[in-house]
Amino acid sequence: MIVTAGEYVCLESDKANTLFIVKSGMIVAETQDLGSGERYINFGPGSIIDELSLLEGAPRQYTLRAAEPSELIVISRETLNDTLEQKPSWIGAILQFLSKRFHIAEENKRKNGLIQSLPPLLYIISSSLKRSNTNKLEVEALRKGLQALAGTSVENANKLLEILQELGVLKVQDNVINTSSLQIVTILYETIKYRALNKKVSPNILSMTDQMILSTFLKVARESSSPRPGGICTVTTKQLCDEAKKSMHGFTLTMRTMSSLVERKLLFPSATYDIRMPIEEIQFFYADFDKILDLVELNRIFPLLDKKLVN
Amino acid sequence: MVTGDSRQQIIPPTRIHVKAGFVVYSPETGERSIIILDEGELTAIDTADGDRKVVFKMHPGDLVGVASLLEREPFHLTIEASKDSVVTLINEDCMESELKTLPVWLLAVIRALSRKTRKLKASLYDPATSNSLMSLAAYCSNLPEFTDIPIDDVIREFGWLTKVKDKNIQEDLKALARRRFLELKKDGAKILLMVPNPFLLELFVDYQRSIEQSGSWEPFKLSIMQKKLLVTLSTTNKDMEMDGPSWLSFLAERVKDINVAEWIRIQKMGWCTETSKGMFRVNPDKINYYLTALRFETNIRGVL
Repeated sequence: MIVTAGEYVCLESDKANTLFIVKSGMIVAETQDLGSGERYINFGPGSIIDELSLLEGAPRQYTLRAAEPSELIVISRETLNDTLEQKPSWIGAILQFLSKRFHIAEENKRKNGLIQSLPPLLYIISSSLKRSNTNKLEVEALRKGLQALAGTSVENANKLLEILQELGVLKVQDNVINTSSLQIVTILYETIKYRALNKKVSPNILSMTDQMILSTFLKVARESSSPRPGGICTVTTKQLCDEAKKSMHGFTLTMRTMSSLVERKLLFPSATYDIRMPIEEIQFFYADFDKILDLVELNRIFPLLDKKLVN
Repeated sequence: MVTGDSRQQIIPPTRIHVKAGFVVYSPETGERSIIILDEGELTAIDTADGDRKVVFKMHPGDLVGVASLLEREPFHLTIEASKDSVVTLINEDCMESELKTLPVWLLAVIRALSRKTRKLKASLYDPATSNSLMSLAAYCSNLPEFTDIPIDDVIREFGWLTKVKDKNIQEDLKALARRRFLELKKDGAKILLMVPNPFLLELFVDYQRSIEQSGSWEPFKLSIMQKKLLVTLSTTNKDMEMDGPSWLSFLAERVKDINVAEWIRIQKMGWCTETSKGMFRVNPDKINYYLTALRFETNIRGVL
């Protein structure tokens, strides 16, 4: 196939089942690369282009144009089939295996790109919110920041925002990100960072029992009319035990079950305690309502986030 | 008598009949080869932890060992016949002799697929961005200002976020400190980092991005007249609202030779923005952006 300078050979996404080999000249490939505009690649003599079109009938990967007078060799599916017919069957099996392995590597790269982009995205949202002390951030500012920090594509940034929206961490409206609370993104980021850097579960991740106790505490605190100066709320031990019996299927609270939350300074007893003493001897428990709320929310989100990213 | 054959000699694959329980391949002793199951059933077993874990079963037509032979990737599974089977083994010599008979283009396709897969796999460990200095500046612009942070924490966190190597991070930190965008100080054995003005780092990121994309940056392309206009607008009351012609005559009184083209450029650069139909106001954020860029030009360019 002879092409003159400037002549188009094929268009990106066209249906195809042939392979090009550049025999002489120079072919320029253009492709739409989301996030960073158009991308150009030069193919000189000896280059092969679109092997997946030949093997699997995949659409053209690039728009090809001759940069100078060029000659291309076109290999068709028929030529491939004729060649393979004369060869042992395992040659065809090797080709299939290699193209399958290439697709797996592509998919891993795509998934990895998304997973790797989450911490930078949370870092930028968290620090921007802290700096402005509001729960709003423009999507465009986030995209620009992410691109500069981690080379994240617009596609991946949008996908992550979508996932975080589905989980209720934030909402995107009129190109502005609103977070459900000022702290939730920061806690989420710190938890992921802790796991990655220390190779162990963050102290923010609670046991099922602790999560249920805190949820019960929040439920009682919401229903209680006690004032919450500075975000501190108080719940009487009786109210807490009664609600635990109801919502935790007859679970009986003891000082032993409460101790891990007390030791982690999430709940504070009204008096000094001993894990062997009856819980009724403590008159009430108090805690930072927003902190507990964010922590319970984090524990709801965390396992779901991992699943959503992988899927 | 010469009875030579000009064709390449092909080494045939080995076809074997094996009984159930026979170990076809073992990672300790096995020769690298592609194993094709023709009849029966094979089982791939992982014995790495001392236990026997069945990883997958092979059925007629399945094959393993391609990556091991073509890419020399380690193959750590034991392949055992779970039923009486017929197996074809293609060793390195056999494969090479057959590959030599393939047309050049088909060999090139095999090589291209292998190369692309290898590249994709290797890229998983590459830094997230090619411009690590811009990336670090973007990271530091998000740190709290006037706060001392141990440099080791910064290197650790930034390295995790971007996969940039510690040595490169250290060099980039020095480059930012040399531009006075960061302050480094010793506190005993620790080195502390402090960001005095995150806005300068934001400007530096914009400069780097713009240089990468177009080779120049708008604030450093201003003419003398545009710089005069910028200074004039910076001293103008930000609440003053006028239509275009009034702005033009207002600026003409202060800066000689201004024309409509310059007024249009002022709007394009965002120094004056339209508030309601036909009315314009100074945009102090944009003015500050350009003024700060000019004031810190040597820092941004790194020519201190």
